[in-house]
Amino acid sequence: MRDLAWFLPAWPLAFGDVALFGALLLAGLLGGELASRIVALPRVTGYVLVGVLFGPHALGLVQAPLLTGARVFVDLALGLIVFELGHRLDFAWLARNRWLALAAAGESLGCFFAIYAGMLYFDQPPLLSACAAAIGTATSPAVVTVLAHELRASGQITERMLLFTAVNCTFAYVALMLFMPLVHLQNETSGRSAILHPLYLLTGSALLGLAGSLLLLFIAKWIGKREDRQFILLVALVVLVVGVARALNLPVVAALLTFGMLVRNLDNEHALLPLRFGDASQLLFVVLFVLTGASLDFSGLETVAAVTAVFVVVRFLGKALSILALGRLSGLRAGGAGLLSLSLLPMSGLAVVMINDTAAIYPRFGAELAAVVLSAVAVLELLGPLATQFALKHAGEAHPEA
Amino acid sequence: MEFARSKSLSLGIELELQLVRAHDRDLAHEAGDLIERLAKIEVPGAVKPEVTLSMIELNSSVQEDFTGALAELEAQRAAVAESAGLLNLGVCGGGAHPFHDWAERRVYPAERFKAVMQRYGYLAKQFTVFGQHIHLGCTGGDEAVYLTHVLTRYLPHFIALSAASPFYQGEDTQFQSSRLTSVSAFPLSGHMPFVADWAAFVEYFETMRGYGIVEGMKDFYWDIRPKPEYGTIEIRVCDTPLTVRRAALLAGYAQALAAWLLEERRLAPSRAVYQVNAFNRFEACRYGYLGQLVDPHSRSKKAIGEDILDTAAAVMPQAARLGCVEAVRELADDVQLGRSDAGWLRARLTATGSLADVVRESAARWSEPGASARL
Repeated sequence: MRDLAWFLPAWPLAFGDVALFGALLLAGLLGGELASRIVALPRVTGYVLVGVLFGPHALGLVQAPLLTGARVFVDLALGLIVFELGHRLDFAWLARNRWLALAAAGESLGCFFAIYAGMLYFDQPPLLSACAAAIGTATSPAVVTVLAHELRASGQITERMLLFTAVNCTFAYVALMLFMPLVHLQNETSGRSAILHPLYLLTGSALLGLAGSLLLLFIAKWIGKREDRQFILLVALVVLVVGVARALNLPVVAALLTFGMLVRNLDNEHALLPLRFGDASQLLFVVLFVLTGASLDFSGLETVAAVTAVFVVVRFLGKALSILALGRLSGLRAGGAGLLSLSLLPMSGLAVVMINDTAAIYPRFGAELAAVVLSAVAVLELLGPLATQFALKHAGEAHPEA
Repeated sequence: MEFARSKSLSLGIELELQLVRAHDRDLAHEAGDLIERLAKIEVPGAVKPEVTLSMIELNSSVQEDFTGALAELEAQRAAVAESAGLLNLGVCGGGAHPFHDWAERRVYPAERFKAVMQRYGYLAKQFTVFGQHIHLGCTGGDEAVYLTHVLTRYLPHFIALSAASPFYQGEDTQFQSSRLTSVSAFPLSGHMPFVADWAAFVEYFETMRGYGIVEGMKDFYWDIRPKPEYGTIEIRVCDTPLTVRRAALLAGYAQALAAWLLEERRLAPSRAVYQVNAFNRFEACRYGYLGQLVDPHSRSKKAIGEDILDTAAAVMPQAARLGCVEAVRELADDVQLGRSDAGWLRARLTATGSLADVVRESAARWSEPGASARL
C-alpha cells in the first residue's frame, strides 16, 4: 500500500502563496459583501474585519510568517495605489489656486504639529512624538483611492481628498526621513551613517521615481496612444519600480509616489493616455485590506486608550483647521470644508509600512513607535472608511447607484 | 398669450458649455460648484444650470449689435475660465463631448430637472449636448411668426456654420454635427406648424395646452421657436462653437440675415419649405458646407456652402448698417476655405491620436483670451 501512495502529497499540506492569495481574496470578498449587506458598511471595512478575524490576534489562521510572505502583495497593491495618487498631484492646479496650495500645506503642517503637541502633553519623548506625528499626518492612500473607485465618486471633495492625501503622504515621508538622523544618533550609530542613510533613502527614492517616469514617458511616446498597450506598460513599470525599490532597500511608497507625481507633471507632450487601472487591480486591493486587517493589533489599546483617543482627535482637528479656514477662499462650496476634513480621516496600511520600515532598522525604537501609533491605526482603520464614505455621499459626489 | 414687443433685431445669446475634469478630460459633475463660485463675482449676463451636472449655460443680456455681443461674451468667458481654473475644471465649446458615457451623467439637483428626468428617462441624460441659441428681437407676434417661417429655409446655414460635434460616445459619427440627432428624439421637437399669424399660433398653442400636451413654450423643442415672454424668436440649431468669437459671429450673421429678410420681404412663408426641411437639415448635419440644400422657392438644389456665400453677399448692405460686416465676412471666408470647428476637432484627433487630447486642446482654445475663431 505504502509504495502505491507515492503520488499523494505529504501531510500536513504545504499551501503556497498562490493558495494564500486565493483564500484571502475569497474571504475578503465574502467579508465585504456581508459588511455592505448587513450593516451598510463600506466593503473596505468588511475586508479589514475579515483580516482582523483571521489574524494572529483572533482566530490565528493567518500568522506572522505568512504576513511576511504576503508582503509582496502589499507592496504591489500599495505601489499601484500610491502611483495613481501621485498622479493626482497636479502642480498646475496648486499654482493656479494659491489658497488651495496654502490649505494643502496647512493641512499637513497643522496635523503634524497638533499630534506632536498632543503627544508631548502626554509626556512622550520628543523624537518619538515627532516620528509618530509624521506618520499620523499621512491619510491612508489605499482607503481614499479604493473608496473613491468603489463609490464612483467624482467632484471637488473627491479631487481635493486625493490631492491632499498625496500631499500629506509626501510630507509624512520627507518628515520621517528628516528625523531619521536623530533616531540614528539616539541609537548611537556613527554620525556618518546618521546623515548618509536618510540621504540615501530620500535621493534614492526620488531618483528611482524620476528614472521610472522618464522611462515610462519615453516608451509611451514610442508605442503611441494605444490604451491596451499603455496599460501593460504602466503595470509593468509600476511593478518593476516596486521590485527595484525593494532590491535597493528604498521605501517603496516614497519611490512610487514620486514616480506617479513626476509622470503627471513631466508629461509635457501628453504622451500618456488618462490612467485607468481595470478591475484586475481590485483583486490586489482586496488582499491588501485583508492583510492590513490581519496585522492590526488591538491588544495595546486598553493600556494606551487615552493617548490613542487624543491622537485620533487632535489629528482630525489639525487636519480640519486650515481646510476650514481656507476652504471658501480656495473655492469650496458651503459645507464642503467639513466634509473634506472628514474624508481625510483614514489611516492604515501606509502607517504600518512606515513603522515596519523603521522597526527593521531599530527594533526597539520601532516597537515604541508601534505601541503608540498602531492603536490609532487600529481605530482609524475601522472609523476612517466610514468617515470617508459619509463625506463623499453627503457631498453628493458618490454615484447614486454605487 | 401676449407677445412682448422688443426692439427689432436686438440680439441675445445662450451658450451651453461642457465642464471637463483635468485628470482624464471626461465630463465633470461640478456645475453646482462652478455656479456657486460665479455667483460671488461680477459676471455680465447670467450663468445658469442645465439638465445635468456636466453643463452650464451662459445667457447674454440684450445686445444691440455684434460688437456688444462679442465684448460681453468675452467678459463672461474670462470670468468662467478663471473660476473653472480654481476648481481644476476645463470649459469647452463643441456640440457634444467626444467620449463621455451618457449613462454616467448626473441630473442637476433641482425640481425642474428632476421632472425632466422623470418624464423623459434616458433621453434626459442623453440630452447632455451643447447648443447655442440666438434670440432675435421682434416688434410683434406676426413678425415673429413670419421670421420663423422664412428663416427655416436658412437653418442649414446655421447648422453648417456652427457644426462642432463630429465625435460621439468615442466614435467619429461621420457627421459634422451629431448633436441635433439627440434633439430629434423628443416628442415635441421639429418645427412650428404652418400658421398664418400670431393669432393662429395662439389658437394652436391653446389647443395643445387644452390637451395637456404642453404647459408653456419651453415644452416645444423646435429648431426655431417664438419666445413671447422675451419678444423674440430663438434659433436653436447651432452647436456651441469652440470659441466665443464664433458664437458672436453667428449672432451677427443671424441679425444681418433677418434684417434682409424683413426688408426685402421677397419670400412668402411657404409650406414647401417644411416639406424639404428634414432633408436639408440632415444634409447640413451630415456634410456641413458640402451638403445639398433644396430651395423650394427657386426649385433648385445647390451646395449649402455656396448658398451661404450667395446669401452673405446679398445681406451685406444690412450687415453694414448693423455693424456686422466683419462677422459675415469672416464666416464667408471660412466657408470658402472649408474651415469649420468640426474640421478642427478631426484635425486635432489626427495630430494627437486621442480624444482626451482633443478635449484638452479644445478646452485650452475656449479659455484663451480673445481666441480667434480661425484655426
